[in-house]
Amino acid sequence: MRPLDEAETTVVFEKLLKFTGNNLKNIVESPAHEGPDPNPGRYCFRLQKNRVHYVSEALVKRATNISRKNLVSMGTCVGRFTHGGKFHLTVQCLGLLAANAKHKVWLKPTSEMSFLYGNHVLKGGLGRITDGIQPGDGVVVFSMSDVPLGFGNAAKSTQDCRKLDPNGIVVHHQSDIGEYLRMEDDL
Amino acid sequence: MGRKKPQKIALPPALPPEVPDEDVEVSDEDLEFVNENVDFAGFLSTLDTHTIDKHVNRVADAKKVGEDALEAAYEKRLQKNKKKKDTEEEDKRVEVERVDALPVKSLDGKLYYRNLSEKKAEGGELVDGAGDDQKDMGLVRLTKAEKRAKLKKSKKEAKRLDNEAGGEKGDEAPQAAVLAEIQKDLSAEEIFESKKQKLAELGLALQADPEANIKSLKEMIQLCKDPNPTIVKLSLLSLLAVYKSIIPGYRIRLPTEKELEMKVSKEVKKMRFYESTLLSTYKGYLQRLVTLEQDPKFQHVAVRCICALLDAAPHFNFWQSLLSAVVSSISSTDDIIRKVSCDTIKSLFMNEGKHGGEATIEAVRMIADRVKALNCQMHPDSIEVFMSLTFDEDLVKPDKVDEDKKKPKYNKNNKRKNAEEPAQVLQNDKKRSRKEMATKMREEVAADFKAAAFTPDFAEKKKMQSDTLSAVFETYFRVLKQTMHSTTTSSEVNGNSISAHDPHPLLSPCLNGLGKYSHLIDLDYIGDLMNYLKRLAGATNGLIISERLRCCIIAFRVMRSNLDALNVDLQGFFVQLYNLLLEYRPGRDHGEVLAEAFKIMLCDDRHHDMQKAAAFVKRLATFSLCFGSAESMAALVTVRHLLLKNVKCRNLLENDAGGGSVSGIVARYQPDATDPNLSGALASVLWELNLLSRHYHPTISSIASGIANMSAAPGQAILRINSPQQAYRDLSLEKEAFDLQQDVVKSSNKRKKSLPNGASARTSLETDIAMSDSVDEEEELSRKFCEHFRVLEEMKENERARDELARTKVALQVYEEYKQLRKKKSKKQVKTVVAAQ
Repeated sequence: MRPLDEAETTVVFEKLLKFTGNNLKNIVESPAHEGPDPNPGRYCFRLQKNRVHYVSEALVKRATNISRKNLVSMGTCVGRFTHGGKFHLTVQCLGLLAANAKHKVWLKPTSEMSFLYGNHVLKGGLGRITDGIQPGDGVVVFSMSDVPLGFGNAAKSTQDCRKLDPNGIVVHHQSDIGEYLRMEDDL
Repeated sequence: MGRKKPQKIALPPALPPEVPDEDVEVSDEDLEFVNENVDFAGFLSTLDTHTIDKHVNRVADAKKVGEDALEAAYEKRLQKNKKKKDTEEEDKRVEVERVDALPVKSLDGKLYYRNLSEKKAEGGELVDGAGDDQKDMGLVRLTKAEKRAKLKKSKKEAKRLDNEAGGEKGDEAPQAAVLAEIQKDLSAEEIFESKKQKLAELGLALQADPEANIKSLKEMIQLCKDPNPTIVKLSLLSLLAVYKSIIPGYRIRLPTEKELEMKVSKEVKKMRFYESTLLSTYKGYLQRLVTLEQDPKFQHVAVRCICALLDAAPHFNFWQSLLSAVVSSISSTDDIIRKVSCDTIKSLFMNEGKHGGEATIEAVRMIADRVKALNCQMHPDSIEVFMSLTFDEDLVKPDKVDEDKKKPKYNKNNKRKNAEEPAQVLQNDKKRSRKEMATKMREEVAADFKAAAFTPDFAEKKKMQSDTLSAVFETYFRVLKQTMHSTTTSSEVNGNSISAHDPHPLLSPCLNGLGKYSHLIDLDYIGDLMNYLKRLAGATNGLIISERLRCCIIAFRVMRSNLDALNVDLQGFFVQLYNLLLEYRPGRDHGEVLAEAFKIMLCDDRHHDMQKAAAFVKRLATFSLCFGSAESMAALVTVRHLLLKNVKCRNLLENDAGGGSVSGIVARYQPDATDPNLSGALASVLWELNLLSRHYHPTISSIASGIANMSAAPGQAILRINSPQQAYRDLSLEKEAFDLQQDVVKSSNKRKKSLPNGASARTSLETDIAMSDSVDEEEELSRKFCEHFRVLEEMKENERARDELARTKVALQVYEEYKQLRKKKSKKQVKTVVAAQ
């Protein structure tokens, strides 16, 4: 385990920024109440076997006691680096993103299953959409009862969505909670 | 548009052969015969010679008419005083029988019988009140009078006519001299009265028979230039009335050179003359009005005249100049002028039938240009008029589509026919040519119909409507932009704001208009509009709270009208509302706007994010602790609504701080978070309800306790008050006094119940006394006092008696004991005595 270096930090923050916008500081600076210490520490990012984890400092201190090959995961895993050096967010960071998301999309109950199987979000399945989305923004997908289902990339701006026909793609699928079942081995 | 063709009636009989009048010899027998049999000579009088003469001599008659009428007026007035009258005229004056010419009542209340001179033009003075402008009817009447006149004279009237025609020219000069003398002699007041009367006469004459009296218009316009201001005003107003009644329903088109050269019938000539005179006088009148508008003395009258003219005849010539005059006075500082002009423009918008839509678009464009020129520093009424615009939303294409389809089809058929049967028999050719002719005729008919039809057809209407809409929205966007600029540079503007109260006065009617017409705006512009509104709502400097709230409200309304396109969640505006709640101050800001914002943004059927809803619930509860009953009530109604709708928020009513698993990501409540989603309100508790249930206002305390018990009893009785706006209105200060009294009575009752029974009599007396204060009867009071004292006495008696009883009882007991002791003593003595023996 090691802390991220400059380049890696930039890449990770960029990816997160697409989803959270200004709320990024909430992720980075929120006080961590975990652990027995009376003063809340901070959260930080650590790299372990090309997986990036979001852990509180108290936990990090204790995790150093476990040897590297025995340490599977700590805190929340937010993503992994590929061989080519690219960073991908995984579904486990959904909780973190959902709390701080700037752009949200709510799905109708009929099209929830389709999204959970890995399909893209069509306009006909859209219940509600936040205003002010630009193409390429990160969007978190919710169900109508505010359960986060996954996240993706916006294909069109909110304005253009109005004029789209019902089978147009609104959000490109990136990750959803169905992956816990489908890709159990990878996570 | 086309001229009104004079209706043709049966032509009068042909003229008798031209016989020089000198040769006519009328014998006495003939005279007698004619005198006896009046009717027989009737046909004689239907000669056209007179009308021809009238037409020919019309120009010469013009002055004559005026002067004769003037003289007639003077004469009647000065009958008593001046005998040096135009005896020459009196000769010409012929007493007309009262049947033919109805009398005129002057301003003095006297009846004047019209005198008819020989000149046919005077026939126009006949006031029969029929108001026909048909020349032929006039003819008939003319001839009737003439018949009478002729019969009276009976001899050689034609000769006389000629003599007079020759003689009158010579008479004009001395007449003018006489007139001048008369004028000098009359006093100023009499001049005033005479002018008024003249105005009345001319006006009536014009209304009755405009075509014949068109010259009088010039007279009246002359009066407008009078030095006396009252006369000017009166003449302007009377001209207004005249024009209103005689302006025709079509626009006058003056004949071109070519047409003037053509030979036309007398009726057409007459009509042309009438129209050209009308037009020229109207133009002169309008010019006079426009020049007078600048003059502060006549401003009100002039503006009123202009507005009334525009209202009555927006289709007539020169309407553009009228319109520009009205539009420029729309934003004047004078209240009356502004109100009159705004009302005119509003009625212009609402009665589109009168002018077929052209005036609407012209007016809207002019207003837009004016806004641009003045950089939005105008009175809000000027934009308020846009609210009366109506747009036809279902402009259906009727048969146009069919026509287009038919034509190419027909052509194709034709070509195919030609190709297939090139060498056909004549029959086919004939058929085809007949068909072609039929379609050509149809086309011609359609073209004629179109030309004659006054309402614009579908394509024109559509174009006009889109132009109007674009001008309206251009204005609104300009206002929004200007407001934004003024807020961004408000630090410099603050010192030297242009208008007295408001740096952006047009904002509120602009927002209203946007709310009303938002469903007509193109989808492309909605994004821009939302952007502007968001920026304005967030402008902390320059815009007051109510305006920012209105921006949010309008944004939601626009979104709602476009709901079928997409259900968009307006995140930014919720954040603004959340923060505006903290900045609200009851005295300075309008609570109704706040209540409306609550209703539209929170209470309407919107699906809300749990965190967001909980954040609003918590903040509203805190809000209702700080302000008066009205705002608190509005906030509490909203809270109740939100809690009813979002079941998950009800854990705010449970007493576990920290929220447990339902609290979501944020573990603790941050009361000063700016974003409702990150406030963590699901982890808080609504302890404010506890405090609110002890509020001094009974309604508020009841609703607070109702909300607190909501989780226990899901089927709640529905409160009367359903919307935050209604709540705010009900509980505003006017009604509060009444409620307080109720409360006092209630609390006194409570006090009464809680005391123990022993002292209840006394306390009941206290309440009785309290109540008896309001009852102003002394007998009652004294009676109650008597009772009270009696009761007191009885109580005292009872106590004394009881005490005595107790004492006697004690005494008896002691005696009993003593007796027993004595018995024992005696027994003991006996025993000892016995023992001693």
